[in-house]
Amino acid sequence: MIRSFLKTGMTVAILVTSLLAVAQVSPTTKKAAHVRITEGPELERNDAYLVIVRWTSNNPGGTPEHYGVVHYGTNPTELDQSAKSPIRLNPGHDYTVFRVRMDSLKRRTTYYYKVDSMGDNGDPDGVRSPVRRFTTQ
Amino acid sequence: MRLKTLSAGAIVVLIALGYTIVTYGQQNSSPSVYNPYPPGILPPNLNSEIHRVLAEIDFIEARALERWHKMKPPILTGQPPTLQNTGTEAVETLGELLNFDKQMSPKRNEACASCHMPYAAFSGPIPSVNLTMIAYPGTEHFRAGKRTAQRYTYAPFFPVLQYNQEQALFYGGNFWDSRATGYQLRNPDAEQAQHPPVDTQEMGFPDTACIAFRLQHSPYRRLFEEVWGKGSLDIDFPPETEEICRTPGGAAIFGTNATPIPLSPADRTHANTVYDHWGQSLDAYEQSVQVSAFSSKFDAFLKGNYTMTADEMAGYKLFNGKGNCNSCHVDGLGTTLKPGQVDTSTPATVNPVFSCFGSANEGLPLNPRDAFYYQTKPDPYGFTANPYGFGYRDLGLGTFLRSGFGSAPNPNASWRKLAPSVDGQMQVSSARNVAMTPQQCSTTEAPGPYFQKEFFHNGYIKSLKQLVHFYNTRDTAFAYPVTSGHCPQGTVERVNCWPMPEVKNNLDMTTGDLGLTDKEEDQIVAFLQTLTDGFTRPYPNRDTYTGACMHGGSSKTQGNEFLIPTPELPPCADAVCGVSPVPSPPIP
Repeated sequence: MIRSFLKTGMTVAILVTSLLAVAQVSPTTKKAAHVRITEGPELERNDAYLVIVRWTSNNPGGTPEHYGVVHYGTNPTELDQSAKSPIRLNPGHDYTVFRVRMDSLKRRTTYYYKVDSMGDNGDPDGVRSPVRRFTTQ
Repeated sequence: MRLKTLSAGAIVVLIALGYTIVTYGQQNSSPSVYNPYPPGILPPNLNSEIHRVLAEIDFIEARALERWHKMKPPILTGQPPTLQNTGTEAVETLGELLNFDKQMSPKRNEACASCHMPYAAFSGPIPSVNLTMIAYPGTEHFRAGKRTAQRYTYAPFFPVLQYNQEQALFYGGNFWDSRATGYQLRNPDAEQAQHPPVDTQEMGFPDTACIAFRLQHSPYRRLFEEVWGKGSLDIDFPPETEEICRTPGGAAIFGTNATPIPLSPADRTHANTVYDHWGQSLDAYEQSVQVSAFSSKFDAFLKGNYTMTADEMAGYKLFNGKGNCNSCHVDGLGTTLKPGQVDTSTPATVNPVFSCFGSANEGLPLNPRDAFYYQTKPDPYGFTANPYGFGYRDLGLGTFLRSGFGSAPNPNASWRKLAPSVDGQMQVSSARNVAMTPQQCSTTEAPGPYFQKEFFHNGYIKSLKQLVHFYNTRDTAFAYPVTSGHCPQGTVERVNCWPMPEVKNNLDMTTGDLGLTDKEEDQIVAFLQTLTDGFTRPYPNRDTYTGACMHGGSSKTQGNEFLIPTPELPPCADAVCGVSPVPSPPIP
């Protein structure tokens, strides 16, 4: 029984390997004309350990790996620092949730921030973001 | 059928018994076993489990030999010359024979299959190792590697490692850190098969030519020559070759010499060709339907021959929707959805492998049980696997691009500058067969009866429930600034406490706070279980496990009794984090 099974297996092997299609990779989706925030930006988490900024936009398209970017600073007119975190776009979703970790903020400090996103190749999506603020613990 | 099943079982038992008798004396007479580990790191049943797996390996090897003996030889004909009729079967069978041949190690005690058995989808076959030291012991007991044994299944479908400049992303390669690039054979899986035979902590030959040397004396030499040409193993080895090949690689006696067997230039080239054919034969086996079978419930579902249960279907929708799993574990679907819509489109391919062939840093905590951290002293051969101890950090693809410690030389200098952008990233494995277990242990999940597996590159996760829960809650209130083994009182690690990531750089934020309910996590697990081959037809050699299944407990806390406190971590060693271009931000 085992022998006949293996024999059948080998026959199927030959058939299947000859039919294998080219392996798929993450598809690049068409770049959206405008990327608009639909939720947030807001703090998903703000404690002594970690700050995470989160927002949702329409799917920006473009490169499969994208970065959420937070421009921040202690002066609302001078957001001279930035943090970014990678995410994978899901071509099957018409929305994208961006989340950015900010690991090295000063404690008990008020920060102002706005957000953007960009492709892995550095092309910004040109998101219009309000400037918001938070105070670390 | 019943008689045949019984006789197969009897053969396994007899081989196991015979092997135990033969090796018992050898083991006890061994001058010294390398054991730099504190108590509790090596599982107490390690020796008996290694012997169990070797007996199973011998059984499968015997099966393959029998099949080869009954195979009609292929006919070499045509232009270009082709092995007509049974050529495919011949090369795949050759690969199988190589895979299960324990002679392919210095001490003739380790085959490729020692870390990759069919019943675990060709990943780690020893439950107690999966629970504790996570990396498998090599030919020299007890050197061990640093990462979990990746599944063979569908590895041959990964393309040659390439940096796509438009998308600014790496695609392809084999191994967690993609170091088997395929740059030369144009086949990363074949090049992957070339690493373990000369990996100091695995099969551990000191010279790649040892493979050709051992093949000269193998019982299937005729098949090798049938496939790769008459005379392909005719190499003039000097008399000292056996002595060299039974000395594990890394031994001080070899210094930095990677080719200690003195061969003529022509014979060296010849031996290199044999080594390429070794890799290509193993790739043929791994790509065959004996290994990458496309025979799961999901495959039957794609063909319309299987109706998913309510939980499996709910899990599938979550996998593509709220769970966002298919952003990397690509399933071939391709509809742009409106909010609330469900993707009902036909998959773009009939054989999605559930990987984007990319890499990601999922933020796994450092696993202090990893055997690699403890190999800080020289073994009897003067070899030290990890002089940096807990100063080692696993930067994955980043370390490979730097040709760094514990990885392999990077063959493309233009990639090196990209290392900081991929530090911490590990290959996105195919999700297929993540749930495969021996047929008598029906699941990976407690209370079972279950087969204990290990997940991700460092084996920190012990069940699929924990795996999905980790993706779901890594960044929520369950995230604590502690290392493993130090969760605050009142919390339970891997349930409502996640220690901090080993590497924070490039941490992927697609997941981490998905908002899945407990039931939805279970449904995704149910879907993952539909990706196990062997549903539409039996999966070859899945019946060879002779160990025990485990019982009891909960998948949420599976393995928690083996958690140990991470020691205070020294700074990342310069040999890892001080190599240019250095990680940015610096890794503490």
